Amino acid sequence: MKRLALILAVAAMCLLIIAVGCKKPPPAPPEQPKIETPVETKPTEPEKPAVVEEKPMIQESQFQTVYFDFDKYNLRTDAKAALDANAALLKQFPDVIVRIEGHCDERGTVEYNLSLGERRARSTMEYLAGLGIDAGRLSIVSYGEERPAVQGSDEGAWSKNRRAEFRIISK
Amino acid sequence: MFVRSFAVAICGLSFIFIADSQAQDNTNRIFFDTVVTGYVQPRKIGVEEMKYIGATYISAADSTIMQYATGVVQRDLDFYSEFDLVTIDSFYLRTYEIKELDMLGWARLGADYLVRLEAEFPGSKLRVRWRLFDTSPEQEISKGTLENDRFAWRTVAHQISNEIVRYLTGDQGPFLTQIAYVRKMGKAKEIFVADYDGANERQVTKTGSTNLSPTFSPDGSEIYFTSFLDGQPHLYKVSAEGGKPVKVAGFSGIVAAPAISPDGNQIACVLSKDGNSEIYIIDKQGNVVRRLTNHRSIDTSPTWSPDGKMMAFTSDRSGSPQVYIMDTYGNGVRRLTPEGDYNDSPIWSAKGNRVTFVSRTPRGRFDLASIDTSGEGYRILTDLGTNENPHFSPDGKQIIFSSTRLGTGDLFTADLSGRNQRRLTRTGDCSNPTWGPLRY
Repeated sequence: MKRLALILAVAAMCLLIIAVGCKKPPPAPPEQPKIETPVETKPTEPEKPAVVEEKPMIQESQFQTVYFDFDKYNLRTDAKAALDANAALLKQFPDVIVRIEGHCDERGTVEYNLSLGERRARSTMEYLAGLGIDAGRLSIVSYGEERPAVQGSDEGAWSKNRRAEFRIISK
Repeated sequence: MFVRSFAVAICGLSFIFIADSQAQDNTNRIFFDTVVTGYVQPRKIGVEEMKYIGATYISAADSTIMQYATGVVQRDLDFYSEFDLVTIDSFYLRTYEIKELDMLGWARLGADYLVRLEAEFPGSKLRVRWRLFDTSPEQEISKGTLENDRFAWRTVAHQISNEIVRYLTGDQGPFLTQIAYVRKMGKAKEIFVADYDGANERQVTKTGSTNLSPTFSPDGSEIYFTSFLDGQPHLYKVSAEGGKPVKVAGFSGIVAAPAISPDGNQIACVLSKDGNSEIYIIDKQGNVVRRLTNHRSIDTSPTWSPDGKMMAFTSDRSGSPQVYIMDTYGNGVRRLTPEGDYNDSPIWSAKGNRVTFVSRTPRGRFDLASIDTSGEGYRILTDLGTNENPHFSPDGKQIIFSSTRLGTGDLFTADLSGRNQRRLTRTGDCSNPTWGPLRY
């Protein structure tokens, strides 16, 4: 209730401001300006001394997750495309060390999935090594079916859980 | 007992002879049950409410103990696939205005045997005298007395059940055995231990990490398991009473699927230190004894035959996971599962001649199935939910497994033919069950 009241109040204020400003009626969604303002303040960062060291700003989310078919660890075409992009990132930031995590969907047994997850992480690592990424920057771990990205027992969830994820160990 | 099972066998055989093609299915079932799983028509047994035979007044707490202990004996004997518990039919009692069932009454209810329980509470102790009767002709055939601390009434009840099973079948009952399993606690997965019937649950690990695949040492004192405590799946052990886990083996890559040899000296497990999951035997200090498999595919889930000479395992060398057999040096590998696109998680029966495993069945889910070690007699044992991680009771008569049939995963038991399925846990989020050794 409180939240609704707040939103209504903000909306009313916006409307008022718009009405006063230019008497045009479009009721703009009130939440957008709040989100956009902090994002827009970021680009005003460039400071000369810091740039040299803080240049490699890389986020884990820039790495694409690689997805697999059921009970498979070979790389699909879309997986290779994702890894090509990840390899480009790793070349752009040569100091970054990553760990590749192999995962499975909930089907199959815990023990088999530990091995399968490792095969997925390993084929991911080997593909990157084949693209010229130093193997010393890559390590793997298998979580089997223990850490699903999405909860659920349908193909929608399963297909998102059969994956290899990238974790940044050091930048 | 021999006469009865012989009669059942004769019936089964004569039925096969007179069977036409329509009855083929049924004869297969009878043949399977009597010959393959040793299934015999369960004997009917009644258990009377425990009676107080002490001299003084009985407290309400002691009266409750007697009531609960009776329930434990009843559930034990009902659980045992060779017995059926005869329950008192209140309609029958009312119709014939029976206040208390006598031996003839029990016989009329169908009971072949009757257990009579008499309790005393000397000091802080509970003393129960049990008497076993054949109902027709009425005859006391065995008896005994058991005594323990009052709070150990559950142990006393299980001991009585063990004595009755031993007298009537000649076998050691499983009623004092323990099970171990994994239970999800928030984001962590911890190892738990409970009595075979799910009672007395207690948490063994408190790591906040992911712990998997528990297995008891042959004496039941320790539990070996896979843990992510150091970030990678490695092999640990912990006292079955709880305590701090100790790392056993931490090779690079995974150390998973531990299976302890029947003599307790060696551990078969999966190591991926060579870049791929292979089956190894290591000693209890974590040193490699020998490598058993050498294949580009995934090899995992080793299980020992009871004589310690053979091993079944899962491999996807054919393109999909299937169960294979080899000797404990990795020689003579042959595929065991002829059917299905996904067969995994084998466990070798404590009786030696059958392997139970998880099979993706035509309904598209995972079920327990079993097969003879010769590769004959494939049989599906479950048909509800997803069923995984079978493990045998130490007497080889029951299978424990996890199933999602009633939600997020609970533990169940079934007999070797898939009958008599029972739910052991009710919390959900339980998986990876294993069964400890016989205890008396």
